[in-house]
Amino acid sequence: MPAVTFDQVSVAVETENSPQPKVLLDAVTLRLEEARVGIIGANGSGKSTLLRLVNGLIQPTNGRVAVDGDDTVRAVRKVRRNVGFVFTDPLSQLVMPTGREDVELSLRRSVKNGPERRRQAEAALGRLGLLHLADQSIYELSGGERQLMALAAVLAVDPAVLVLDEPSTLLDLRNRELLRRTLATLDQQIIMSTHDLGLALEMDRVLVIEAGRVAFDGAPAEAVAAYRSWCLQGLDHAARDTR
Amino acid sequence: MRGHGFLLANYVPGNSLLHRAPLALKFALVFACGLASFIIVDWGISAAVLAVLSGLFLLAGAGMKRLWGAVRPLAPVLLAIGLFQWWQLGGPTAARIVLNILVCVVAASLLTGTTPIQQLLDGVVRVARPFKRLGADPERFALTIGIMLRSIPFIAGTFADVRDSARARGLERNPRALVLPVFITSVAYARQTGEALAARGLGEAEDQPA
Repeated sequence: MPAVTFDQVSVAVETENSPQPKVLLDAVTLRLEEARVGIIGANGSGKSTLLRLVNGLIQPTNGRVAVDGDDTVRAVRKVRRNVGFVFTDPLSQLVMPTGREDVELSLRRSVKNGPERRRQAEAALGRLGLLHLADQSIYELSGGERQLMALAAVLAVDPAVLVLDEPSTLLDLRNRELLRRTLATLDQQIIMSTHDLGLALEMDRVLVIEAGRVAFDGAPAEAVAAYRSWCLQGLDHAARDTR
Repeated sequence: MRGHGFLLANYVPGNSLLHRAPLALKFALVFACGLASFIIVDWGISAAVLAVLSGLFLLAGAGMKRLWGAVRPLAPVLLAIGLFQWWQLGGPTAARIVLNILVCVVAASLLTGTTPIQQLLDGVVRVARPFKRLGADPERFALTIGIMLRSIPFIAGTFADVRDSARARGLERNPRALVLPVFITSVAYARQTGEALAARGLGEAEDQPA
């Protein structure tokens, strides 16, 4: 598996309401080599920021992020060839009217020959069992089908690492299960943020992000238990404050 | 989101004569129709051209529903233009202008309805290739066209959604309640699309030297 490394990485953004920059991620150092890495944490804790750094969508304010030794700022093109990114909302990701066209769009850079590109797109759709939906408008697909279509478009170029930002948040139970089973069959290294703690338990390693820092890093069961306990503690405090 | 309410027909798989026709010929047809709309001065000829194009559209197997879907979003605008021109220039001129706009829309729908988008983009890349010498990236030209084809229906769908929500709040006559949300949503959509393309390594800048 490729190694994704964070070396003292911080991300801060200017805000209108405060003279001090808002810290989204604070001096994070990590080495991710496991096949399945889960990231859990509250909304706004810094999960998406951490994931976007891996694909070079965000640049660190301080520190360095590298994928298999390639700096995500200096070698961003190479990094993006190796790192596929799946967004929470597939409609933000699918930029063509049908799945087939979107998968072919992914392949445009690497496959110049039209018929060969069509063949590879069909193969990519076929691998996820989506060929029968290839020519349907993306608006006519269910949420799960759209998410799988977005996944097929990313997997078409065969990235070594797959980053998924809360891919099951907008899905119902059936579609969530469909996505979970599909992800289980993939060879790629997967780094995924999720609010689905059941899914987090299936990972090899889970990070709990809290206020821009890694609050826990370890085995899934312990990480989920720690996260649950912090969340409930917060609720107890809130309940006491409202009394 | 009603992003699928679209001005131009999406590709319909098929094997009709138009599907098999060379892309350049279909481009030439659209160009000729655009040019003809400036030249034709008789509404009867405009109607005949529209009838022929509609016939070709149906022969291609794209269906009446898609043809109506391509024209329907324009109906309120055409009605307004037609009424204004009738008042200003009389019935025959109004009919000619409205029919000529429909000719252009149906011709463009014939192209997009019978040509896969990737084939269209390949055509754009071929046409833009000479500009490579001037430092332009033909793939970016193609990407821009592709994004435009996807963005127009999205913005049209956004407008329909915003109009409904304004109506629900009794603000359908307030231009700010209609325009501002469409503008904000469109900017957000542009940012999301840019991010999605960047994440897939499409249309991005070169690597920085170490």
